[in-house]
Amino acid sequence: MNPVLEIDALSVTFCGKQAVHAVDRVSFSLGGGEILALVGETGCGKSVIAHAVMGLLPGEAQVSGRIVFKGRDLLALSERERSAMRGKDCAIVFQDPSRALNPVHRIGRQIAEPVLIHGAGSREEAHRRAAALLERMGLSPPGNYLPLYPCQSSGGMNQRFLIAASTILDPSLVIADEPTKGLDPGRVREVEDELVRLTGGGRTALLLITHDLAVARRIADRIAVMYAGEIVELAENDAFFDRPSHPYSRGLLQSLPEHGFVPIPGSSPSPVSPPPGCRFQARCRDGKAVCGGQHPDLVSAADGRMVRCWQCR
Amino acid sequence: MSLSADRLARAYRNGFLPGSRRTVFRDLSLTIRPGETFGLMGNSGAGKSTLGRVIAGLEPPTAGRVCFHGRDTALMNRSEYRAFRRSVQVMFQDPSAAFNPKKTIGTSYMEVLDLIGTPRPAQKAVIAGILESVGLSGELLGRYPHQISGGQSQRLALGRILLLDPEYIVLDEPTSALDVSVQAQILHLLKELQSERGIGYLFISHDEAVVRFMASRVGRIEDGRLVIEGEA
Repeated sequence: MNPVLEIDALSVTFCGKQAVHAVDRVSFSLGGGEILALVGETGCGKSVIAHAVMGLLPGEAQVSGRIVFKGRDLLALSERERSAMRGKDCAIVFQDPSRALNPVHRIGRQIAEPVLIHGAGSREEAHRRAAALLERMGLSPPGNYLPLYPCQSSGGMNQRFLIAASTILDPSLVIADEPTKGLDPGRVREVEDELVRLTGGGRTALLLITHDLAVARRIADRIAVMYAGEIVELAENDAFFDRPSHPYSRGLLQSLPEHGFVPIPGSSPSPVSPPPGCRFQARCRDGKAVCGGQHPDLVSAADGRMVRCWQCR
Repeated sequence: MSLSADRLARAYRNGFLPGSRRTVFRDLSLTIRPGETFGLMGNSGAGKSTLGRVIAGLEPPTAGRVCFHGRDTALMNRSEYRAFRRSVQVMFQDPSAAFNPKKTIGTSYMEVLDLIGTPRPAQKAVIAGILESVGLSGELLGRYPHQISGGQSQRLALGRILLLDPEYIVLDEPTSALDVSVQAQILHLLKELQSERGIGYLFISHDEAVVRFMASRVGRIEDGRLVIEGEA
């Protein structure tokens, strides 16, 4: 089966006073019904990838490589063609629903809006679809929810409304950018269930961007770890959490509560002038001379995972 | 030498209707001793932050007393109250909002030292010492708040608090905005500083694992009441 999304050597550079290399030759593919979690620290380039796929990067961003979505290279399309796709074929769920939802419009109108924008139905039809969607999400009767304003419901509920608004046209690709950030634990589970339900039909692919490893572990099929603009490890969920291979992946898991919050010393390198060798070398316990000199490639390991490390070969 | 809340209550006016009030918490008592961490949990909106603000003197209680060194803070004279406010500091969740965006970090630090009357020539050494204890280099002092990462600004915010040599710090979700790896660094730094300086913490978080890692005693605000674990 053809993948829904295929990213090949994607690089994004922001050209300000100094060139910031936010994303550096990232490649991965994502099939229908699959959830790929992109994890890593703030500033590692996760959200930049999401915005590159959606075509939402600012003008000073230089994008190279290929983003193939259902057989078409998105980077070769005009803005008009991309905007016809955005919200219909591929949709993004932003973090912080209190800011992503419009505070002065009712929830029902905001969920129905994509139907009207893409001319997929009349006002009545849009409203009916919004009600049906909430019903499917287990929010019934929908009449209780549609007339609400965002300030009248909790952050978790608003996040689910936002997911509804993004997915009412049944897109093939959904990108969720930190969808659980700032929610109470119970609310996090509700949002997770919603995301799993989306991909349940086997058609929709979900790119989950998160720094919450617990969420990734519970719902993702595969995990891609990013560090300083690069993917350093890409593995199946179980393999990753049972036997993380890259030293940075191991450090990340060690800093989780269940492993006693053991920190990784130091901080990420500057994206303006990344070190020539392995970008994690300065913080790595296993670092050797070769690590500082030559930049490692992302190569396949024996069990099918991809790792970018000289010592893991 | 403890910091304590005695039958504390806080209510807000609800809308513009006279007489309608929403009680955040009531009859709430707790004591924090020097060098000890009290962990406070609760869902969003339960009143954790409000309690932190009341204990630090940023908001008055509607009823009850906040006592510092056994004295009711509401009955303190001017100089005692100043000493209380200086000794009990608050660190907030959002590290990017902690510093004035128009000033360099160094200027923000010097303002604090000016306020407490440290002579200018001595300031440099004081700041250098503090930066060392929070694990940062002096190079950051020339930068503006938007030029530093979340973990660094949370360290800097902590450093600025330490300039005042506080006895207690109310830590209001200090790591909620940070990545897991940076969170681990900050939690260890907080523990280290506590054992060096004997500071008492009121550690507020909705993350149970973090609270359990940090605190020796743990309480949860539920329906406006504080339930302390191990105490019926």
